[in-house]
Order: sequence, then structure tokens, then C-alpha cells
Amino acid sequence: MIRLHNLERSYPLGRGQLFYVLRDIDLDIAEGDFVSIMGPSGAGKSTLLHILGMHDHGWTGEYFFDETAVHHLKAKERATLRNQQIGFVFQQYHLLDDLTVYENLDIPLSYRHYSKSERAALVADALDRFQIVGKKDLYPRQLSGGQQQLVGVARAIIAGPKLLLADEPTGNLHSSQGEEIMELFRRLNEEGMTIVQVTHSEKNASYGKRIVQLRDGWIV
Amino acid sequence: MTADLKYAFRMLVKAPAFASIAILTLALGIGANTAIFSLIHELFLRGLPFKDPSRIMHIYGEAKERDLKQLPFSVPKFWHYRDGQTVFSSVAADWGNGYILTGLGEPVQVLGENVTANYFDLLGIRPILGRNFLPQEEMHDDVALITENFWRKRLSSDPGVLGRSIALNGVVTTIVGVLPNLPISWFGRDTEVFTVKPFENSNATKERMMLGYSFMRCIGRLKPDVTMEQAQSAMPALVQSYRTQHPETADCTWTSVLVSASEDVTGDLRPAFVTLLIAVGAVLLIACSNVANLLLVRFSGRRREIALRMALGADRRDVVRLFLLESTTVSVIAGIIGWCLALWIVALAPKMAGDNVPLENSISLHWPVLVFTLALSLLTGLAMGCYPAWQSSRADLIEGLKESIRAVSGSRGQHRLRRGLVAAQVALSMVLLATAAMLASSFVRLSNQETGFRSDHVWAAGIGLPDGRYPDAASRGRFAQRLVDEVQASPGVETTATVEALPMSGNYSQTPYARADGNPLPVNHRPLGLTRSISPGYFQTLRIPLLAGRDFTERDGTDAPLVVILSNSTAKKLFPGENPLGKQLLFGVDHGNGLMAEVIGVVGDVRSRELAKANDVEFYRPSPQRSFSFFNLVVRTSVNPETAAPMVRAALDKIDKEIPILQPNTLDTIITQSLGQRRLTMGLLGAFAGIALLLAVVGIYGAVAYTVEQRTAEIGVRMALGAQVKDVLRLVVRQGMNPVLIGLGLGLVAIFGTGRFLTAQLYQISPHNPILLALTAAGLAIAALLACLVPARRATSIDPIQALRAE
Ligand SMILES: Nc1ncnc2c1ncn2[C@@H]1O[C@H](COP(=O)(O)OP(=O)(O)O)[C@@H](O)[C@H]1O
Ligand SMILES: [Mg+2]
Repeated sequence: MIRLHNLERSYPLGRGQLFYVLRDIDLDIAEGDFVSIMGPSGAGKSTLLHILGMHDHGWTGEYFFDETAVHHLKAKERATLRNQQIGFVFQQYHLLDDLTVYENLDIPLSYRHYSKSERAALVADALDRFQIVGKKDLYPRQLSGGQQQLVGVARAIIAGPKLLLADEPTGNLHSSQGEEIMELFRRLNEEGMTIVQVTHSEKNASYGKRIVQLRDGWIV
Repeated sequence: MTADLKYAFRMLVKAPAFASIAILTLALGIGANTAIFSLIHELFLRGLPFKDPSRIMHIYGEAKERDLKQLPFSVPKFWHYRDGQTVFSSVAADWGNGYILTGLGEPVQVLGENVTANYFDLLGIRPILGRNFLPQEEMHDDVALITENFWRKRLSSDPGVLGRSIALNGVVTTIVGVLPNLPISWFGRDTEVFTVKPFENSNATKERMMLGYSFMRCIGRLKPDVTMEQAQSAMPALVQSYRTQHPETADCTWTSVLVSASEDVTGDLRPAFVTLLIAVGAVLLIACSNVANLLLVRFSGRRREIALRMALGADRRDVVRLFLLESTTVSVIAGIIGWCLALWIVALAPKMAGDNVPLENSISLHWPVLVFTLALSLLTGLAMGCYPAWQSSRADLIEGLKESIRAVSGSRGQHRLRRGLVAAQVALSMVLLATAAMLASSFVRLSNQETGFRSDHVWAAGIGLPDGRYPDAASRGRFAQRLVDEVQASPGVETTATVEALPMSGNYSQTPYARADGNPLPVNHRPLGLTRSISPGYFQTLRIPLLAGRDFTERDGTDAPLVVILSNSTAKKLFPGENPLGKQLLFGVDHGNGLMAEVIGVVGDVRSRELAKANDVEFYRPSPQRSFSFFNLVVRTSVNPETAAPMVRAALDKIDKEIPILQPNTLDTIITQSLGQRRLTMGLLGAFAGIALLLAVVGIYGAVAYTVEQRTAEIGVRMALGAQVKDVLRLVVRQGMNPVLIGLGLGLVAIFGTGRFLTAQLYQISPHNPILLALTAAGLAIAALLACLVPARRATSIDPIQALRAE
């Protein structure tokens, strides 16, 4: 489903020097896979995830998503592809403070071509599925961290992506809450969702099917 | 305190962008207010430089049933009131006159007045040299008072001025005193010389005078224990006794109305200045709300500093004081700059207004204005600093910490306040812009108003003939005829004529009239109609079409049968459905029933008093049959009309070298000047509306830019979740435009609520004109949209990766 070949990402260091965050990355991820990216802080994990998520355009090399050559797409085409195929979960949840749970779930749908009634139906589905119907009118600050991340995951998959990207999704959670999220990931994966997560914890990584170790920008 | 002040200064210097925007914004607001306040002070508050001006009453005649107001006094009426009244400690009269001054170089015209001997004593004006007139001089003596200007300019400050003689209209007159320069709001511009003999007027025969020829301004000073109301209620008895004792007079049917001197000089300016005052108030409010917004942002950005100060023992009051000191520092600096701005605006005002508004040529800013500005500055500083200071000082240590954790968007209260301020700014700007647009549109309509005559290529000037050498209609007629013939023969002159008073010059005379057939009303119940004495060729010179009958000719002389030409609407009004030619009309008061004149022609209607109003009745008489010692020459040239001046001078030199050319001007200029007050109001209001728009746009921009900055993280999240450029633009613009639209709505409501108040200042446009309001609203909305788009564009370039990492 994803094939990276010789992908590199660098930042200018000044005086013509380049600082390589990612080097010569070759990575294949099959449909239905559940990959955990691990490595020390600063290794380039988040950077890799943002490239996969097509937020970052400053890389070189080849990136095939299904049959599409992402490296040949324009920014706008990447955005369209991303909106159709990819969902995000963040370490800090990034729910919008001034919106209710219901409205937070609705955000991704509002940026895609859904009718009003489709949107309502999809949000209702998600609320149901994640068993947060009772919380739909609450604001994020009225929820526990685990509940917030639950909403974060629900929001990530509400528009039906094939690929879920999660950057340390349990980093801010107690271990029991973290386990819940990991269980959720496993269930999603079993239902066919491809997942790539960044994690520091061996335990979380064990929920996945394989581990990719990054060190100083290299896959080891 | 000094330490705090120093600190406040240092904080401003450290934030030059904030400081300069805040100071400039406020300076515009304070400057506009200072300028208008100083004009208001000048026109309304300072009062006339008379002793106790509120006790001085101008007595007007009024005939409500004939729609006649603000009528002057006649000699018999003045005498009757002077001798019969008991409510005034004294009563005096004056009337404007032109004098030809000879013997001091070229003959020149000087403007002056004939006054009763007690006139300046009544006003409480003391001469700076010499004395006022003595009662025994009133009837027969040739004595004069001159102004300081006259003394300094024309007599080179001659120390021996008292007792010196000058020739006024050929009469040797002795100067008995020098008056301080006098307020133009009471005496008009350039009035320099005063004589007595107030009851002799060469424009009217003794007989006409005694039949109620009205030409004097009558004033009285209230006795110390008499109120204006008491004096007013004493008038009907005088009216009644005058009517019984002088039933033959034309003015015996009028009632008498008192108007205080101060009200008298500025009454008609009041609505315009109320409008302007409201306008600058709105500008100041907008400026204040802008700066309050800036302060809100600035102060809440200093939570750490506040927390630190509080940790070190400051209490809430100390923090509030610190911030207020900073905001008042801003406003006082702005006040100083605003003061300079006001000086500049005020210097322009007399030029914009022309002769139409009684503003002295150089208005100085007086100390009450200085106090006003200072108070205004301090007040605005405190007012706009209060809420932000209070808000920001609320943070105690722990709350300050909490706040910094959820920094995604500021407190809801502040948010709402900011949006409320923007809505208020937009509403005020909307009202100002719409008002300015309506005034401008009225002005354009007036400027383009068809007058019924052609003013282009016409030069005009006054000619005053001294009574000594030109005592009667015949001699004046011969002079005028020769002058017209000479000028007519000059190169470049198409036609020329004389006219008693120029259209749109503010001068006009009115005469009682009636149809001679049927049962004419007694003279003193007849309506008054505009009457102009003209020479043959006047209609041709001004291109007024002759619709029926004939123009005057040389044969319509002093001894020929009396004739009259009517304006078209006069003909329709007096002779509906009839042929007016050959009909007889009665004019004036002579012989107690007026003189009979035959209608010989009908000409097109013209607007001759005001551009804004059509005359319903206007008569033209041949000047030999209704002759004045002062008249105007109008010259139509085929070239630049200014070239007429030397030709007329040359023509005059051939006839009588001693006759000066008075107030030469082009007719176009005279018409333009008649719109002076409107130009002043429109110009000032337009400028203020422009400032309001600018400030509102800056305010909207600031508010939206700040929101975008605060919402960077949120926008980043939204982009990560799929928002594209257009979504982000829509998000920011919608949020920015929301208060704008609310403001536009409020503004429209306000206009509908207050529009009626404006109607009197508008011409041929409704204050609710939908097209104008729609255009104004659209213009404002577009400006606001642009103000939103700039920060919105910036929002679209937010990099979600950076925005998310920033957490
Ligand atoms: N905009 C940037 N400019 C320069 N260096 C950057 C930028 N963004 C990230 N980096 C660097 O790239 C490296 C990898 O960062 P990141 O992918 O966030 O690491 P990880 O998620 O593995 O902790 C770090 O050394 C970081 O300093
Ligand atoms: Mg990371």
C-alpha cells in the first residue's frame, strides 16, 4: 500500500550545509499492516509520519501510495488524496476547546464532500461505535485524557480513511487508558485499517505486527 | 509614581509599533474633536465680545400669516419702540452702508454702518482711542468712529487721528474715536467705519421712510431685573399702539419677536455643528475602541510580568495603576499631536467656509480649548485603559499558569468584547460614511442645480454713487447709461447691464405687491415679493429667456409709465389662466397704496436667493423707475471674465475717476461662495468619515490578525484534519466579518433612527436613500473584507507541522 524508496529529508543548517533528519529510507507497508515506529527522541519519527501523512513536502525520493506516485503530485492533489485516505491521531489530542465532542467529530467531514444528513449520520455512527453518545455535548475540558484521545481517534477515522497515522497516541495517558486506546487500534486493524504509530513503549509496540527502528534518520 | 511613569515610557519605547499605532489613532480622534470644539467655542461658546451679550436682544418683525420672518425695522417704528418701551435700559439701531473714501490715495469703497449715537454704549464697546458718539451728534453731525484696522492700515496708526477729517461719500467727516476690531459675526466682514444720521437713507424718500420702509436692525439691552420672557410679553402692547398710531405704515401689521444676540448670530449654524460634533464624537469612540483593543492584547500578553509583580507584593490596584499610567501616557502624547492637527484643520476652516460662516480669518486656539483637549486626552486614556487593565490584573499566580496551558484561544469574555468593539466601530463608521455621502450628494446636486441663468463668463462688481454728486434717479440713470455704453463698446464684451443686487449674493430686497384690479388688500397686509431693479440687457447678459412681451428699453425712464417684468412662476401665480401682459400691479408703499405698474414681459424663473430654493415670486423693475445709489454692473465677456476689470476701470475713469470698483468677482465664484457653509460641513464631515473608515479598517485588521495569531494551533489542527486554503480563508473571514455585518446592521438601524434629524441639511436626497445606503454599506463591507483577507491569507500559510509542534 505504501512504498518509500530512497526517501530523504533535510533542513538547511546555514552556510550551505544540510542537516539530514531522514536518510535513504526504504519502507514497504502492506494493506492491513500495523507498524510501530520506535527510536530515541529526535530520531525523525514524527518527521517520517508527517511525510507519510503528506503534510510535509520538503523531501526527496519516491513515495507510492497504492499505485499513485505521491512524489509527482502537486500539493493540492496530495491534499485531496490525504483527505480521502488518511486519518491522524495526535499525542496532545488537539481537540478544539471551543467545540463540543459532536462538533469536533464533525470537523473532518466539513472539509470533505458530505451532505448535511450524511455528516449527521456518520457522527452518530462514530458516537455509537466509540460509546460516547452521552458525551456528545460536552467540551473537551470536561473529559478525561483517555476520553479525549478516544474522541481524537474517532475523529481520525470518521471520514473512513484506509491509513491511520498516530504520533505517540498514548504519550499523555495513564497506562490503563493507553491500553484501551491500543485495544481500540488492534480492533480497527482487525477490521482492515492500516495503522502506523510512533511509540516509545515496547508494550504498545507489541500490539502491532512489526516494528521499524529509526536512529539518527536511518532505519536500522 | 515617577518611577512608574518612567517605566510606562520605557514600555512604550520598547514596543514602537504598538505605541505609534495607538498614538496616531488617538491623535486623529482627539485632533478632530479639538478642531470642532474650537470652532464651536469660536462660534457659540466664546460669545460676542460685548458686555453681557445674553442681555442684548435683537428685535425682529414677523408676519407669520404671510410667511415673513426676521424682518428689519422702519424709522417710525424704531422711534415708537424707543420712546414707548419700558423693558430695555436702552434701544439702538444700525444699518449697513457703503462709503466711498476719498482723499487717502485712490478712491476706495469702505464698508460701514450708520448707527444711533448710543449704539456702542449699548453693546458695551469702549473705543481704544477717543470716545463714542454723543446723543447730540445723532441727527446732524458729520462724525465717524473707525476700527483699529482702518486706523492702522489706512491712517498708518496716526497718533493724531482724533479730530482728523476724512471724506466719506464726499462729505468731510471728523473722526472722534477708534474702536477695537469688531466681530464679523455681528458686523459682517470688513466693516470699518461708523457714522450717525441713522434715520437718513438715500435709498428711500422721506415719504417712503415714514410709510414703513424697513431697513434697520433694532437692538435693546434688557433692564437688569427684566427677563427675556418678560420683555417678549411686553412686545404685543407696543405692536398694538404702533398699529393704532401709524395705521398707514407697511410694517404696522407685523408682530415683534426677540432673539438674543448670541442666538441671532449662530442660530442657523447650529444643526450643522451638532452633526459635526456627533461625527467627531463617533471618530473618537472608534479610535478609543481601537486602542482599547490594542491594550487588551498588549496587557494580556504581559501575564507573566503581572504574576511576577504580584509575587513580589504588588496588589491588584498597583497593577491597574501601572497599566492606566501606560494608557494615559499614550493618550496624552496623542493629545499633543492631536492639538497640532487641530491647529491645521482650524486654519483651513475659514477658507472652506468662505463668507458664508462668520469665522474670523485667523482663529486662534484659546485656553478653554486647551483645557478641553487635555481633559479629553486624560479621560480617553483612563476610559480605554480601564477594562484592559482590570481584566489583566485579575490573573493571580495560579490562574496565570492555567491560562498559559490552554493558550489556544483567549478568554471568552475578552473575545466577545473585541468583537463587540469591532461591531460598534463599524456601526459608527457606517453612520458617518452615510451622512458624509448624503451631504456630498446634496452638495453635488446643489452645485449642479439649474439656476435659470448662465453664470459662466460673467464678471460683476458693485458701484456706489455718492449722494452729493448723484442726488437723484436722473443723475444716477445718466451715469449708469454712460457706464453701460462705455463698457459695451470695449473689446471682448458681449453684453453688459446693471442690477440692484446680484443673484445668490445674499442681498435682495422685497416689496409689497398686489394685483391692481379687484379689491387689493391694504398695503400692510400685502405679501412681499423679491424685486430687482435692472437695466435693459440684464436678461441677455445672464441669458435669462424672455418668454413673452418685451425687455425694458431706454424709453422706460423716470418719467415714462411704470412697467414691470414678471418671472414665469409669478405670472402663473398672479394671473392663472390669463395673459399677464398689459395687466396692472401695485408696488411698494408710496401714496399709501403703492405705485401702479404695467406688466410688459415674462421671463424664465431663476434661483436668485438660494440654490436650494426656487423663488415663487420675483419682479424686475427698470432701474430709472426704482433707483438706488448702490448697484452692480454685470459684464458678459467672450473671453476670460477677469479681463473685464481693467476695462470697467478705464470706462469709469472716463466718466468719474472718484468712483471705485467694489467687490469685483465672477458670478461663478459668487455662486460657489453661497455654498460655503455646506462646503465646510461636507468637507469636515467627509474628512471625519474618512478617518472613521480608516480607523475601523485598522481596527478590523488588528482584531482579525490577533485572532489568527491566537488560533494558529487551531488552524494547524484543522489543516491536519483536511482543511484546505479555501476552508481556512472562509473560517477566518467569516469570523472577522461576523461583527462587521452586525455593525453594518446596527449602523443602518441608527441611520433610520436619526435620519430625520439630517433632512434639513440635505438637498433632494432622502436620509434613507436606499441606493446610497446600499453603496455605503457595500463599500464598508468591501473595505472590511480586505482588512480580513490580509491576515486570512497569512493564516493559510500556517504550516500545520510547525503549528502542532509549537504545543
Ligand atoms: N523545522 C525544522 N528545522 C530544523 N530541524 C528540524 C525541524 N523540524 C525537526 N527538526 C529536527 O529534526 C529532527 C527530528 O525531529 P522529529 O521528527 O520531531 O524527531 P522525533 O519525533 O523522532 O523525536 C530533530 O533533531 C529536530 O530537531
Ligand atoms: Mg516526535
